[in-house]
Amino acid sequence: MIAWAEPVASTLLRAIAWIALAPLVPGIIHRTKAWIAGRRGPPILQLYYDLARLWRKEVVWSSVASPMHLLGPAVAWVAVLGAALLVPTDAAHAGLDLPGSAILFVYLLALARFGTAAAAMDTGSAFEGMGAAREVSYAVLSEVALVTGLLALSVHGGSASLAHMFDASGGVGSALLAGGLFVVLLAENCRVPFDDPNTHLELTMVHEVMVLDHSGPPLAVILHGASLKLAIFSVLLVKAVVPLGQHSPLVAVAVLGAAAAGVGVGVGIAESLMARLAFRRVPLLLTTAFLLNLFALLVEVEGGRLR
Amino acid sequence: MTAGWLLAGASAALVTAGALAWRWARASVAATLAACGAAAAAALWTLTGAGTWDWQPGLALGGQPIHLQLDPMSAFFLALLATVGGAGSWFARGYWSDRERGSSAARGRLWWAAFLLSVGWLLLTRNGLHFLLGWELLAITAYFLITLDRRDPEARAAGWLYLAASHTATLSLFLFFAALASRTGTWELGPVRDPAVAPLFWLALIGFGIKGAVWPGHVWLPSAHASAPSHVSALLSGVAIKIGMYGLFRFSEWLPLPAQAGWVVLGLGLASGVLGVAFALAQHDLKRLLAYHSVENIGIILIGLGFAILARQYGQPAWGNLVLAGGLLHVWNHGLFKSLLFLGAGSVHHATGTRIMSQLGGLWRSMPWTASFFALGAMAIAGLPPLNGFVSEILIYVGLFDAFASGHPAYAAVGSAVLLGLTGALALACFSKVVGVVFLGAPRTAAAAHAHEAGPEQRTAMAVLAGLCVIIGLLPAGAWPLVAMVAAQWQGQPVQNTPLLLTYLGSLHLALGCAGVAAAALLMARLRRVGVRRAPTWDCGYAAPQATMQYTAGSYAATMTGWFRWILRPQRHGEPVHGIFAQPTRVTEHTGETVMQLAVEPLARAVLLLGDLARRMQHGRVQAYVLYILVGVAFIAALALHGGAP
Repeated sequence: MIAWAEPVASTLLRAIAWIALAPLVPGIIHRTKAWIAGRRGPPILQLYYDLARLWRKEVVWSSVASPMHLLGPAVAWVAVLGAALLVPTDAAHAGLDLPGSAILFVYLLALARFGTAAAAMDTGSAFEGMGAAREVSYAVLSEVALVTGLLALSVHGGSASLAHMFDASGGVGSALLAGGLFVVLLAENCRVPFDDPNTHLELTMVHEVMVLDHSGPPLAVILHGASLKLAIFSVLLVKAVVPLGQHSPLVAVAVLGAAAAGVGVGVGIAESLMARLAFRRVPLLLTTAFLLNLFALLVEVEGGRLR
Repeated sequence: MTAGWLLAGASAALVTAGALAWRWARASVAATLAACGAAAAAALWTLTGAGTWDWQPGLALGGQPIHLQLDPMSAFFLALLATVGGAGSWFARGYWSDRERGSSAARGRLWWAAFLLSVGWLLLTRNGLHFLLGWELLAITAYFLITLDRRDPEARAAGWLYLAASHTATLSLFLFFAALASRTGTWELGPVRDPAVAPLFWLALIGFGIKGAVWPGHVWLPSAHASAPSHVSALLSGVAIKIGMYGLFRFSEWLPLPAQAGWVVLGLGLASGVLGVAFALAQHDLKRLLAYHSVENIGIILIGLGFAILARQYGQPAWGNLVLAGGLLHVWNHGLFKSLLFLGAGSVHHATGTRIMSQLGGLWRSMPWTASFFALGAMAIAGLPPLNGFVSEILIYVGLFDAFASGHPAYAAVGSAVLLGLTGALALACFSKVVGVVFLGAPRTAAAAHAHEAGPEQRTAMAVLAGLCVIIGLLPAGAWPLVAMVAAQWQGQPVQNTPLLLTYLGSLHLALGCAGVAAAALLMARLRRVGVRRAPTWDCGYAAPQATMQYTAGSYAATMTGWFRWILRPQRHGEPVHGIFAQPTRVTEHTGETVMQLAVEPLARAVLLLGDLARRMQHGRVQAYVLYILVGVAFIAALALHGGAP
């Protein structure tokens, strides 16, 4: 058998799994929110129906839009999928074992952000410009927090490759990381308290306002990419905190899936219990996330010295 | 020896180019291109392992024997010089043409050739005095290039400031070379073992730091880069400030360094990185913005150099290899994408007559090529995969991790990685702003609406630079041997073979590129299938949307510049609107150059004041002059009596 066939096949398989399962996470969040509010809520597969519908719809395009309106979503989706493939999904490091893949992960997410922000600026709408400005501004802080968190993990794992970073310690560091990375998850995916995905007032939106002028298949790509990103961060959070290393691969994957769904429930609970923050408070919360991750990093560095 | 003939040919071609500049424009540019091609060939010849070319003809210049040497370090910077020099001279054919600019275009060709010649000389010479000669020629030719448009008062002021800053640097370097020569007993340059010369590094750092636009020595750079013609800005940013880096790399290789050198270089690098991008965010002028990004990228290079020095000082150069290679590769990368961006900005200025971002917009429609090249350059400078900027940045990140794992500067490595992440995120925000405000959306003014695409020469020059950015991004393993050779020379010992990181990264970048193209093509095909209808932009039901209602560059960056108000010190003029039924009002905000205002200008005023005071002594009264002589003689006499003559 050719040497590269097996890794290519496994990569393809994982890509398909990510693509197919990602839209479940928003479904779980909506379900949780509906359950807490005492409503029946949309079915858990609602996003799949929406995507299928959008894929078939005609596109209405702003008269000032450039090819960037199409390129942006496409590039962003590919970048997010690439980032997903870097995250190991089972105990054996199935992710691509690239030294420094944690950095590639962060910069792929940055590439996705560039794509969505450029596509938003493309319509010449003041609202979408505002959304893009907020997105990139908050991302500065959340990226710093994310880099710090990943550094803490890589110090613990002794490698800057995502494939070797996740043998969670379950100690103080993990608790701090859990807090910090959860806030980063909320911020990067534009959830309450950073942004309210259900709001109907353009002035207060971040992610939703960036996609106001998208429709049809490009919007489907954007929505799917957003759910993929949410799934990535859920898995990342679980892998960072829950020690999965000692279990058999099957158990590990099952626990990972269940825990990622649990993160979705957590996001749903947070959204039900909190209101959106005032915009000037957002940097404070992100700085807090950065500090939590920084303390986790200090714990790892000093703990490593003691060991 | 081949390298020698190539270099001789290049110099002859440059002299020809200068001689033909006035009458035979086409032949002059062709000669410049030939010279750049020959120089690039010689540089690559050396970098691919042909060995060092050394030439001592036994001739003397200024009483010093001529000694030229092309080793990997010189070749590395020579290759960049040739690439940017060639692309810029070809770009100028369309951008600064004889038809539009008259004699200024001819002068431009002359000074361009002179600049290339003096920088080439600077890179090759192995004599301190000759280095200073080349340095001075570089300063002067660059001054004439900046002030090509003599009628523009801004360009004249910028040139003047540049000349003053350059000479401050020269003063420091003059002290450096003179002290070095007096200690070693020769002006010949080369490795020195004597630890007593270590403190001289600070003089070199000041001189090369000012030239290299290291914060806070960057004060000359924003106005010079903004007001110069754009091909000159590209040359200044791509090459001239890299000469400052050449000096730092070169003399940190040759000289023993003081113990704090690594920390100071690292600190300057971090300050340049973060503050450079913060100032860039606050700019309204497209070229000033690009200029401040040069400060940022110089910072990234210095982070690499700083850690490499630290590694050597800890006696474990091995973990400095990757940061060093990353810093070196970033010299090339920044030279390529920043020249590309300046050429793009020049095309925009040429087509619209303005550099103010908030008067542009929607340029992709009239200048699709320029817009595409600029967007590619923007992604490269923001360090996004799969382009070249990311390759050097990931080398530095992974090198920082090596530094951390070595256990010595653990916290410095972690802190630098976090600040590098901050810089990267801010640069991304800044360039999504530039691309969005300048090239996307609707035109904000008539000038932007009636822009025209750049000419074929301008497009070719940009295409070459963009192509090189893509090639280094997709084939990072191919660039490694060249960079490794320079790194090995700096370290004095061989560095590892192509790291696995780069081999993998290359294939991942290729896969990413293919997947991106495939996804875009798929989406395009789907759009054809379902059909596209055009409609006005949805502005939340507002019935009369106007182009001026779009988000501006200032408001896009407002949140982030707010975090840096303490150092940006923006000045606001005019009254904001008050109350209901507000009267029309006009508010402008403008961010000056803080170091200039707080440090350089007060210092300059103090010097002028002292000069004024000194001038009072000269008043034409002979009696007083006799008194001066008397006091002087008495002083010398006292010195002779008490000073303890030998």
